[in-house]
Amino acid sequence: MKLAIDETRCKGCNLCTKICPYKIFKEGKKANRRGIILPELDRPERCTNCRLMHLYGRTLCGVCQLTCPDQAIHWVEELPYEPHKVAIEY
Amino acid sequence: MSFEDWYRQDRLPHIYCAGCGNGTIINCTLAAIEQMAWKREETVFVSGIGCSSRAPGYIAADSLHTTHGRAIAFATGVKLANPELHVVVFTGDGDLAAIGGNHFIHGCRRNIDLTVVCMNNQIYGMTGGQGSPTTPRGCMSSTTPYGCAETPFDLCELAIAAGANYVSRWTSYHVKELEKAVLAGLQTPGFSFIEALVQCPTAFGRRNKFKQVIDQVDYFRTHTMLKAKRDRLLEQGEPVPPDMVTIGELARRNSPALGVKP
Repeated sequence: MKLAIDETRCKGCNLCTKICPYKIFKEGKKANRRGIILPELDRPERCTNCRLMHLYGRTLCGVCQLTCPDQAIHWVEELPYEPHKVAIEY
Repeated sequence: MSFEDWYRQDRLPHIYCAGCGNGTIINCTLAAIEQMAWKREETVFVSGIGCSSRAPGYIAADSLHTTHGRAIAFATGVKLANPELHVVVFTGDGDLAAIGGNHFIHGCRRNIDLTVVCMNNQIYGMTGGQGSPTTPRGCMSSTTPYGCAETPFDLCELAIAAGANYVSRWTSYHVKELEKAVLAGLQTPGFSFIEALVQCPTAFGRRNKFKQVIDQVDYFRTHTMLKAKRDRLLEQGEPVPPDMVTIGELARRNSPALGVKP
């Protein structure tokens, strides 16, 4: 699983940048076509839910998805054999 | 399945301002309803007038968008006409406390099997930021330019005194707790009332030194106190800070309820 921000729904309130316990979302710099500055993902492979959702069979943290007032944050399935990074935190 | 499936995808994005907390409360309510595994055709959402009351329009289930303040009155009719239906009411503070106050009291008194989620943004957001019955003392609004001089309404105390079966208060910062509280309210037979404090960056935060959305959410984090901690402080005789809002499960009773599915 991987995190995805829906560009058509996000209104750029930046609540997710403050609410995520891993600080995965950070404030963006460039405005998109509608003039909304979307948050960027900072090493999204650290997300607990992305890694362990299938193993546990339930949503583990999910605070960003619940908090997002515009329903813009969701998880998408990766393509088969899609390369992805592994982050190790000490 | 997740709560995303309850949304009407063709209606999103909704019209709420950027950073409005109402979307968060709808997310939490729908996540709780998803855990109850209710069928869509047996669930009805009722609302009155206001920002918060636009919520049922974004949900893919039967809904009623009724006159100002009369959401509980309409919901009572729906529930009594067909007790098989699960009725959830979305209201705001201006809807529930100001014009619909009497319906709210009598809904609690009858203890009818409804779940009322009140999104309390402490102001009339849709009409331009007028002061509402729940505007805290000293807060600015367009009708109280020198600070609100009135004592705000404590909706949870009112619901407890009027006899509701389940009463709890959370904020838009405490999403997981709010989800559990709504779930407990849905499971409780009888009137369950969940008050959710939400941020209103456009009408309330702009005038009250919450320039950013996160400022007011952070205020909810720092200026709320769990009921257990408050009780402990009172027991030990220590002072409770006056601007603290009590959150948590405030009442759970087992009084006889009206309109429960036989």
